[in-house]
Amino acid sequence: MKVSLNWLREHLPLELSAAELSTHLLRLGFEVAGHQRLGATFTGVVVGKVVTKEKHPNADKLSVCVVDDGATKRTVVCGAPNVDAGQTVAYARPGAVLPGNFKIEGRKLRGVESQGMICSRSELGLPKDVDGIWIMGEGPALGTDVGSLLGPADDVLEVEITSNRPDCLSHRGLARELAADFHKELKPLGGGMVESRKVSLPVTVEDSEACPFYGARLIEDVKVGDSPAWLKSKLEAIGLRPINSVVDITNYVLHDIGQPLHAFDADKLKGGKIIVRRSEAGEKLLALDHKTYDLPEGLLVIADDEKPVALAGVMGGEETAVTTSTKRVLLEGAYFNPAEARKSSQKTRLRSDSSYRFERGSDPAAPREAADRAAALILQIAGGSAAMPSEAASVRLEGTKIHSSVAKLNQILGADFSDDKVLASLKPIAKELTGTAADFGFLPPSWRRDLATANDLAEEVGRFLGYDNIPYRMAPMSPKTARLTPVEAESRRVRSRLAALGLSEAYNYDLLSEKSLAACRLSADGQPRAANPLSEDWAVLRQSLLPGLLKNAAHNLSRGADAARFFEVGKAYAIRGTDVDETWRVAGILLGPVLDARWQAARAPRASFYDGKAIVEDLLEKAGPVVWAKLSESKTPSDPLFHPANTLRATINGAPVATVGWLHPRVARAFDLEREGAIVFDADLEWLAGREDAVSRFAEFSSLPVSRRDLALVLDKKSAYRDVETVIKKCRLEALQDVLLFDVYEGKGVPEGKVSLAIRLTFGLADRTLTDTEVSAAVETVVAALAKQLGASLRS
Amino acid sequence: MTRADWEKSYARTESALRSAGVEKTADLPTLEEVRVRFLGRKSELTELLKSLKDLSIEDKRDLGPKAQGLKASFEAALEARKSVLEESGDAAALAADAIDLSLPAIRPPKGRLHPLTTTLHEIARIFQLMGYSWAEGPFVEDEKHNFSALNIPDDHPARDSHDTFYLQGLPYLLRTHTSTVQIRTMETQRPPLRVVCPGRVFRHEQIDATHSAVFHQVEGLVVDENIGLADLKGHLQTFLQKLLGASTKTRFRPSYFPFTEPSTEVDVKCFFCPGTGCPSCKHTGWIEILGAGVVNPVVFKAIGYDEKKWSGFAFGIGVERVAMLLHGVRDLRDFYTNDIRFLKQFDESLT
Repeated sequence: MKVSLNWLREHLPLELSAAELSTHLLRLGFEVAGHQRLGATFTGVVVGKVVTKEKHPNADKLSVCVVDDGATKRTVVCGAPNVDAGQTVAYARPGAVLPGNFKIEGRKLRGVESQGMICSRSELGLPKDVDGIWIMGEGPALGTDVGSLLGPADDVLEVEITSNRPDCLSHRGLARELAADFHKELKPLGGGMVESRKVSLPVTVEDSEACPFYGARLIEDVKVGDSPAWLKSKLEAIGLRPINSVVDITNYVLHDIGQPLHAFDADKLKGGKIIVRRSEAGEKLLALDHKTYDLPEGLLVIADDEKPVALAGVMGGEETAVTTSTKRVLLEGAYFNPAEARKSSQKTRLRSDSSYRFERGSDPAAPREAADRAAALILQIAGGSAAMPSEAASVRLEGTKIHSSVAKLNQILGADFSDDKVLASLKPIAKELTGTAADFGFLPPSWRRDLATANDLAEEVGRFLGYDNIPYRMAPMSPKTARLTPVEAESRRVRSRLAALGLSEAYNYDLLSEKSLAACRLSADGQPRAANPLSEDWAVLRQSLLPGLLKNAAHNLSRGADAARFFEVGKAYAIRGTDVDETWRVAGILLGPVLDARWQAARAPRASFYDGKAIVEDLLEKAGPVVWAKLSESKTPSDPLFHPANTLRATINGAPVATVGWLHPRVARAFDLEREGAIVFDADLEWLAGREDAVSRFAEFSSLPVSRRDLALVLDKKSAYRDVETVIKKCRLEALQDVLLFDVYEGKGVPEGKVSLAIRLTFGLADRTLTDTEVSAAVETVVAALAKQLGASLRS
Repeated sequence: MTRADWEKSYARTESALRSAGVEKTADLPTLEEVRVRFLGRKSELTELLKSLKDLSIEDKRDLGPKAQGLKASFEAALEARKSVLEESGDAAALAADAIDLSLPAIRPPKGRLHPLTTTLHEIARIFQLMGYSWAEGPFVEDEKHNFSALNIPDDHPARDSHDTFYLQGLPYLLRTHTSTVQIRTMETQRPPLRVVCPGRVFRHEQIDATHSAVFHQVEGLVVDENIGLADLKGHLQTFLQKLLGASTKTRFRPSYFPFTEPSTEVDVKCFFCPGTGCPSCKHTGWIEILGAGVVNPVVFKAIGYDEKKWSGFAFGIGVERVAMLLHGVRDLRDFYTNDIRFLKQFDESLT
């Protein structure tokens, strides 16, 4: 809300600067978001004309100008690049004082005498428009005081009023708040009831719940014209455009005392009556903003005999607006239920200064007084004669008394303010304060509907006595141990593990476009969607973190990165019945060289499926008995984003917990990653979080020497390494500690269709050293089993 | 052998040893030759030592140490020369080993945690030390938990500041603040409570440098007997000083949230300028960092806590805002683009 300090001072004498006032307002809970100075904060600056402009003999960037101020012509040195002969400018004569008490005197600049200065707007404390001097344009006579062109000096503050304080949405309201803070009295409000014997138009209120008070006063024989200068300048100071005297008066009263009013052209009201009713289906309103609104059924409207003429509390209609040809004015002063005003404003997406106040809650006691005040001003400015108002009133004015004690308020604040101080701070804002410190009754005034509980009063006391005067206290520690949730504990383990494995963490948005899902061969069916998406890029809640990660990889590659290793911990969503499932997942992508070794690039391996497998194995460590299966052979639901053959799905006790593999070639192509060989993985973080979170226990290991035997096996290319491991394990050799695959070879020396696997067997016992014979026997068992079951032979 | 003969042969041996020039031996093989010549089984020195046995007891006692001393000093000289020759031999071999040490290091890939993760962890860590447990709630919420249970009824103007994503065909929305978790926590736990609820929130806002439709908050909630605004001030000042430094100055000013009363917004003295104003503090000298307040008893009442017995305070911190301040990030979108040139600048990785 824009607040003019001059205007504020009409209600409360204040000897504060704008900066000091801002500090006070902030302490009371009102942020000041802006400050604008109006009028001149300088003297001795007149309108001048640049007669000639020459280059300065001794300086490249300076010009020597002759300026005519109507009386004399003087030489002025100017540094602005935009100065030119023929311009009308603001000329500070010697003796002028510019903002910041900057005195202008004649002085030599690089050897040329400069008598005064050609000013820029910012040098005059005005909002800047262009770089360089202020070019004023033709109009004002030479020698005119520039200050006089700017209107009276004023400070205008942009004050942010929180939504619980509609009572401060006016100059008087804010002055009242400051008066309470300073323990001062507001100046009495001038103007009073206009008595008359004439009668206004009849008013019917069909829903007194929605409109507890409606007053309408008829003023006849008005001459609507321009507003007087004082009124115009007030409105202009707070950024409003004057329209005509009657409309300006209603706007003025709104910003003066906070009560929205509306003026109708009474001659344009069909049937000469006012009905406050609900809108009916199909009704429309051409509003003051020149737009036609289709009114949904059931909004509160002001209607004449035929149709709505205003959306109650929001905006009037253009057809019944007061213009300069209006002769009879019907002045509305009403109180609308905040919820009604808000509903109307939201349903029509129409907002106004009035709706802003009504929906926050205007003062139910104010309409009559405000309308009287406006009526008096109309009579004074536009003439005419007023009738007595027609009113429909069912409004309840008295608030609810709050019973509390100083001790209770101090408890809420954690403060130790004295009884006197607390009561003295409540007194100015109470309609009635009775009882004692130990048990008082506080009756709020009609404009403070936000005050209903002891906590509300505690805040008032805190504000007026200062939050700064409330101590810093540490509530004693609870004996409960601070704990992480299992999911958070797991996600921390996962995050630091993946970062240690060289993956960087990404954060992607949860909402995706259908297009990017389609690029990942994922469907938006069965996914929750935003009812009001920001754009098509933000339409569907994701079922996988991978679309985001693929985008990240592509983004980085396109910007020169040669590798991309990312992971994300986040939620995936799905509709289940009438509910939305959301699950924590972790996913990642690997692509490009696994080492940052450009000068050894030829030797540096690139991320392969097996790097991804290592990562997922790490994630699943201690999670339970993992069963791996090819995605194409797994009984668990498939994932179309992955390559069906070169993807493994891990299940634990039948639950799919992780997937790792190649990207499906078509997905890779969509992200322009087909040459990169991207490896992706995805795991169910919540499942992992369910695992035992035990502290690692140390287990003794044998210090006895072990025996190693290397075997070079030749077997059919179609057999998988896993079969070799399985066969060896099935031999159930007590002494076999480890099986290590250390080479996979095809080619020269190995028959076509065969592959050579080199494995190292490690034997050892905890309590004694094995003999050579024992080891050899064990090896023979293994070789025999492999030969029998896999047709493996030893490579000679 | 007489003593005189022995002494003669001693003098001869001594002079031979001296003229052998151990210190000048050129290389290890020559040195070995010298050693064999003088210490070998048939060598002069060995013979001299052997011949001691032919002398009288007195002479033996007299001359024995002399002979041993000669041997020892010769051996010492040999040893010294040997180590000199070995050293220089090594140096040559080592010089031949030289590789170009100025070639770039070969790095295993370095993973980083996202700056929002580290910031969020840091915030939560401080509160954890103050006894706050971690609590979570769903991102997809209903009206009740996001609004009405927090004293924000349907027609409340405070909803204006919560531009909300609603879900199509479902009675749900994406939570607009983590305050929902206050309600979720109180629904399942009895006081006393001390929790932080960090997480992602959603606002229906066009994305630009200072607005994001997705961002993160850390909500805090304390419920106990006799909690007042003073406790809120104490806890939050302690938190801010631990987060931003012990000399951090705080300012608590009144504000309004429907679910807290009294409410406050907390500013810290700008740490980019000496309070004189700069773009970071919008020329006010102060930076707004969190919102907080004493839990409005109507919230307790709605949840079924006895509002006469329990009181509490709650607060909410914007994680992006803190991360931007700590790291000097100016554009919110940078947090969600995942450009490695951005991510790699943050090395709080494994904290």
